[in-house]
Amino acid sequence: MNRAANRRVLAHYGYLAVPLGLFIVLTILAAMRSPNLFTGTGLAGAVIVAAPLILCTLALTPIVMVGRGSVDLSIGPLMGFVNVTLVAWLTQGGFTHPLAIFAWAMGLGAAFQLLQALVILYVRVAPIIVSLSSYLVLTGVNLLIMPRAGGLAPDWMMAWGAGRSLLSPVTFVVIAALLLWAVFWRSTLHGHVRLTGADERMAYTSGVATEKVRIGAHLLGGVFAGLAAVCYTGLIASGDPTQGANYTLQAVTALVLGGASLSGGRGGAVGSVLGALNMFLVANLLATFHFEMISGAATKLAFGLILVVSLLANALTANRMSTR
Amino acid sequence: MVAIPTGSTASKGTGGMLADNFRENRSIFVGISLLILLVVFGALTVSGFLSVQNARSILLLAAFLGLAALGQTLVALLGGLDLSIPFVIGSANILLPKLMNNGLPPSLAIILIVLLGIAAGCANGLLSFRLQGQALIMSLGVGFAVQGAAEIYTSLNSAFGGTSFAPVPKWLTNLAAFNGKTFGLPIPPVVVIWLVLTVTLIWVMRNTWFGRGVYALGGSRIAAARLRISELRTWVTVHGISGGMAALTGVLLLGFSGGGFVGVGDPYLFSTVAAVVIGGTSLLGGSGGYGATVLGALVLTVLTSLLVGFGLGYAGQQAVIGLIIVPMVAIYARIPQIRNQI
Repeated sequence: MNRAANRRVLAHYGYLAVPLGLFIVLTILAAMRSPNLFTGTGLAGAVIVAAPLILCTLALTPIVMVGRGSVDLSIGPLMGFVNVTLVAWLTQGGFTHPLAIFAWAMGLGAAFQLLQALVILYVRVAPIIVSLSSYLVLTGVNLLIMPRAGGLAPDWMMAWGAGRSLLSPVTFVVIAALLLWAVFWRSTLHGHVRLTGADERMAYTSGVATEKVRIGAHLLGGVFAGLAAVCYTGLIASGDPTQGANYTLQAVTALVLGGASLSGGRGGAVGSVLGALNMFLVANLLATFHFEMISGAATKLAFGLILVVSLLANALTANRMSTR
Repeated sequence: MVAIPTGSTASKGTGGMLADNFRENRSIFVGISLLILLVVFGALTVSGFLSVQNARSILLLAAFLGLAALGQTLVALLGGLDLSIPFVIGSANILLPKLMNNGLPPSLAIILIVLLGIAAGCANGLLSFRLQGQALIMSLGVGFAVQGAAEIYTSLNSAFGGTSFAPVPKWLTNLAAFNGKTFGLPIPPVVVIWLVLTVTLIWVMRNTWFGRGVYALGGSRIAAARLRISELRTWVTVHGISGGMAALTGVLLLGFSGGGFVGVGDPYLFSTVAAVVIGGTSLLGGSGGYGATVLGALVLTVLTSLLVGFGLGYAGQQAVIGLIIVPMVAIYARIPQIRNQI
């Protein structure tokens, strides 16, 4: 009985082994190379820098879990879209109340994801194409709204980027997001999302309302994307229409590093957060080596190799799980 | 232009044949109509749209896109996507000046770079073979790694990161410049190369074991296995071709621009995919073809030129191209309703 239960837990969470192991190794390395990361201010800064990526990865998670290879490539530009509209429309227009900002960010993120879900479901085009199209449209629209980085975040957000204390507002936003995930995790929707992602036909024939499940997963992802945009606006204290591509690539890498399966059915908040933290730690470690001119190239090489290796490792662990 | 075989030509009645023929050619039909529509519209609204100058620049830019999208088409026919193409293009673009500075004769350097591109593509294919659901992301990882390595190599003993310069040989410039000449004719040779490769590839895809194998695998892995078509060999070959073509595009782009820049391939990340899907090759695999992608590349380039004529900047162009992708794909490759998949 006990062993059977253990085995079930392992089958559920075994995919976390790779990201967790990597996280421990990277933390030890980071502690050796840059000890001041682990001081109060170091950690506070780390949370603020890492938060947008963590939340972007979290936004990808339910969408990728629901299957059909739906990695949302538009996540970075979507975050950018919310960011530039927050700065160029809301703040300029005088709507700076925190409630208004949060409501706008989460509402806009969710509305856009709802639109994507509806196109996927009713135009019946492959999700990757829909997200590719959104990527292009949003990248263009962001630049039309704000031709270059600039503008100012609302006053109450200006101090966020400084990050003096670990208990900064950004930390609370991340915690709130994780709580929201916990609610999702306890709900029936979570099981249905996993079932739909693992085998959509079986889910459908078992009476799961797969269309509603997909819409739900996208809405949840949209809310996280909105929160990511709020944290990002706090981090740069302005608007920036150009960082979308960057965040998409990083978030997808973090998602894979976190052990989620891009073909659906497997993934979770713990893995995604670990994946995003690993990305942050790698970037941090590489920065300690002072590669100077080639630092960009070294980061690219490192991320590329990590992506390849973790994909292979994920495949191996998945194989082991299924043959057990 | 060319009939698009679907690989499922086993049993057909005569009535079904006509319908099938139309379905197979529909993407070509739609593509040609769209192209004519865009050209007529451009001629009526933008002055100078039909000039020789503009036609030549459209053909040249479409040739670069078409060459880069050749591998993408083949990979898409197998149901995958190769996102390493832009990174390989950028790597080839900075490697060539570096190798020439190191004293390699240009022709030898180009051959070496294309071989390296093929090697990168084959590595990509081997690594992603067992992970085909995630091949897209694997290719992204391989692309990052390749470009990072190329950039580090070119930055050694150099004062610039990400760019590299060397005197580009005249014949390479002539090959890919606006005012390039083919045997005295005022057409850039790249366009001719593209045409020759297009005809060759379409012939290969229709008449060789390899070409039919790609369609068979894209249509049904199991059926192809029964025919003893090696999935591994086809998958790796196709990715190798994609890497080689990307490297070739990078080399030719150096002739076009005159200086190596690592980011030169970036626009091709999504434009190759866009050319493939606008042409009508289904990303689900098995249907479509390079003839369709050629049309897709032309449509995309003419459209961009039209948008530039209307005074739209890069941002506006992106938004419009993004908006037309979903309806275009919806014409060719809608996924069946879940209740019809059981």
